[in-house]
Amino acid sequence: MKEMIIKKDALMNLLTGRADDCQVFAPVEVEGSLVIKEIQPGDEITISSMNTKASIKETFFPQRERLFSYDLSKPGEMKEPPFSDRKRIVFGIRPCDAKSLTVFDCVFKGKDYPDPYYIDKRDNTIVIAVGCNEPSTTCFCSDTGAGPFSTDGADLLLVDLDGSYLVRVVTEKGESFVNENTAFTEAGQQQAETRDAIVDKATKAVHAQVNPDKVKKKLDDGFDSNVWDIIHEKCIGCGTCTYLCPTCHCFDIVDETTGTTGERLRIWDSCMYPFFTLHASGGNPRKTGKERMRQRVMHKFKYFVDNNEMVACTGCGRCVKYCPVNLDIREILKQIEVS
Amino acid sequence: MENLSKEIREAVKKLFEEDKVDLVIGFENGSLPLKATPCFIRNIDDIDRLVWNSRCENNLAVYLTKNKGKIGIVAKGCDSRAIVGLMQENQIDRENLVIIGIPCGGMVDQKKIEKSLQEKEPLEVKENHDSLVIKGNGFEETLKISDILYDNCMSCKHRNPVIHDVLIGEPVEEQDDVDEFAGVKAFEEKSSDERWDHFVKQGEKCIRCYACRNACPFCFCEECSVDSSQPQWFGKSIALSDTQVFHLMRSFHIAGRCVDCGACVRACPMDVDLRFFNKKIEKDVRELFSHEAGIDPEAAPPLNTYNTDDYDDFIKS
Amino acid sequence: MNNPYLPLQARIDKVIMETEDRNIKSFELSFLNKKDEENFQFVPGPFAELSIPGKGEAPFGIASSPTEKGMLKFSINRTGLFTEAIHNLEEGAIIGVRGPLGNHYPVEAFENKNVVIVSGGFAFTTLRSLTKYMIHDDNRSKYKNITVIYGARSPGLLLYKDELREWEKRDDIDLHVTVDAGDDDWKGKVGFVPAITKEVAPSAEDTYVIVCGPPIMIKFTIPVLQELGFPPERIILSLEMRMKCGIGMCGRCNIGSEYVCKDGPVFTLAQLSQMPDEY
Repeated sequence: MKEMIIKKDALMNLLTGRADDCQVFAPVEVEGSLVIKEIQPGDEITISSMNTKASIKETFFPQRERLFSYDLSKPGEMKEPPFSDRKRIVFGIRPCDAKSLTVFDCVFKGKDYPDPYYIDKRDNTIVIAVGCNEPSTTCFCSDTGAGPFSTDGADLLLVDLDGSYLVRVVTEKGESFVNENTAFTEAGQQQAETRDAIVDKATKAVHAQVNPDKVKKKLDDGFDSNVWDIIHEKCIGCGTCTYLCPTCHCFDIVDETTGTTGERLRIWDSCMYPFFTLHASGGNPRKTGKERMRQRVMHKFKYFVDNNEMVACTGCGRCVKYCPVNLDIREILKQIEVS
Repeated sequence: MENLSKEIREAVKKLFEEDKVDLVIGFENGSLPLKATPCFIRNIDDIDRLVWNSRCENNLAVYLTKNKGKIGIVAKGCDSRAIVGLMQENQIDRENLVIIGIPCGGMVDQKKIEKSLQEKEPLEVKENHDSLVIKGNGFEETLKISDILYDNCMSCKHRNPVIHDVLIGEPVEEQDDVDEFAGVKAFEEKSSDERWDHFVKQGEKCIRCYACRNACPFCFCEECSVDSSQPQWFGKSIALSDTQVFHLMRSFHIAGRCVDCGACVRACPMDVDLRFFNKKIEKDVRELFSHEAGIDPEAAPPLNTYNTDDYDDFIKS
Repeated sequence: MNNPYLPLQARIDKVIMETEDRNIKSFELSFLNKKDEENFQFVPGPFAELSIPGKGEAPFGIASSPTEKGMLKFSINRTGLFTEAIHNLEEGAIIGVRGPLGNHYPVEAFENKNVVIVSGGFAFTTLRSLTKYMIHDDNRSKYKNITVIYGARSPGLLLYKDELREWEKRDDIDLHVTVDAGDDDWKGKVGFVPAITKEVAPSAEDTYVIVCGPPIMIKFTIPVLQELGFPPERIILSLEMRMKCGIGMCGRCNIGSEYVCKDGPVFTLAQLSQMPDEY
């Protein structure tokens, strides 16, 4: 894989300088929290060892997205949002979030019904991920097929070498971005060695916690297992895990009208909510927390694997960190593994 | 803390032996160094999982309306007040409930700890009488517990359980000299623009995960107004007006019932300042109806009753 | 790129009140755009999302047959906000249609075979489509005996009454209409669908059976069919789940790894027995 070097301030200048001709999304501190947002003049991009609270999901699959607008006084007329060719750069996300885009690609770039809203954003975006020199205790990315320096889903993967970044060129899109900018120079042998040491240290820091293959085997005939009676018990049924998750993609479609004009929206929804599957006839196939928890785990670690040959979890650890009752997905998977 | 954990285990053992409970809801060590987590004990062999420390922050009363049978519950001051509130509203089978009360010195605020550690990650935590010793890669820090308590714990007036069948440890001193409404009063002083601005900011942060609602012991409605589709009272998206109205409705619905346990604040992943809504309404209820929620099982929440001398100044001719 | 969320526009040409409780109406639509009509190709079995701006959208089985050119029919039970809104629409109103969505009945497999249709109540819609399709002049010779067993709670709740009378007169379709409780005018069969199925006792030899109806009817009909010797591969069902997108993305209608909206709604009993019991 081709590797380049760029000084950190040169890259920051490059990114902030590009804000005129393209949208640049990067982590910024807002009221004490790290969030990914579109960079405005004066914003300071912050790459910290902490991950952003919300994932990259919002940037490709917004929580509230207009499908089209309508005017009740003009029946039959619908206006799609403009699908622009405006280029976008996403910078500073972690490999776990970049990996989540490969999960989204399975869902929204399928051959049956390609999703124009997602594809418009995805195809016009260059994803520049930054590897994790210091993974956190909530990280389990190595278990889910990624790892702190995984290149999956990224066009460029950066390794922090203190004053500069070593740039791994992953895709053609990444390659042309690098070629367009003279601030990138060829990496040397010494930098490659430093990179090896960093990658090695970080990779060892992510302790193996779960084995998705073993979990999958258990889940294959584990639908009626007793384990489901226990593991959902302390879950309070909120949507924190699903909304902070970079791979959860369930949604609802609703209309919002003001006066005579309105919009049909696609909004996030959560399999943890009882009304998610409530049928108009009153029936509900996932009546209690038990069925809903089973669906969440099964979807990520069995159903999605059956359909797409990858787990729908990148090991980012957000659900671990932010669950109000510390219901740790790793503990759940371990329990399943030994069930 | 070790002693209190031991005392809880002994009390629970006795309850199982005397066949007074089928299920005990308490706390066990969580999966992260700073976390304790709710646990459900159904078997006397599992009682060693039970622990007590300053991270046992969840209000376990939330599980009472979801479980049936003979239940024992570990209850701090605020949890016990929630239980009283649920008793007032006939949500609890008191006959089949054993309240294992535990005087509480307050719970430590995870975010305050995170802030004081900056970006260093805790790997090991030891709790002494009044401090936490936090160790991580190449650092050790001692934090005084009273400095890092949750805001609601800092102004808590009922650290000792208001109701209990078994009491663990010794009662703690109540914080009689703190003004629990100091924050609300400061907020009331602000201009209406400033207050609106704060309200807008909080609404914008909300992602409608409903963690606040689901962590609240008083949000036990079978169908929440926000989920109702016939009629649909709320838009379903994160449009600001809808998040704002959701939080307003929730605040009003728990008016005179909220015991300021802080469960909603802790559950919120987005740091929405939920307490300011609820505390303001708590203050209004206190002033208008002289009512303090969750104290007397025989009393009724003021908005559930009607008296001819109820405050009615809001009716203008 | 085709936008799968954009509804095609259709006009309501005819509204028919089907049942005496006034809860089920049929709507006959035609596309405003001739091209949409040409593109809307289907074989009986799929559903479509009907859409009213400001009210939302919901899935309904297609009740018309592809042999009924230029017309798309839906029979809609009034149960909630959206179905209420549709019921309030009058002839001439514009309505959105997304579809056809989902798979279809395996009509190719039915060729040179006997076909038995067992249905109850409001679930008859896509089976009307199938029946209409099979008895069409172009198609009838492809199939051997066609038996239809259809029941409702009372005579007034039967769908498509005029058509049932027409089918009754034909000798190339063996029709058994039954009601749970008759009235003074009712001359037909009285009894629950499973019992009538047992009484009619269609031969399982060289035969496919399609069952659609309320869960309780399906529950008691399946054992009857198994007793008659139908193998699970030739018992076909169409499922109902809460759906939104209809294109396998929104995540609510899956049964195990299968999405009812995309991989279904038509499954054989053999397929269903391999899937988790969560529907």
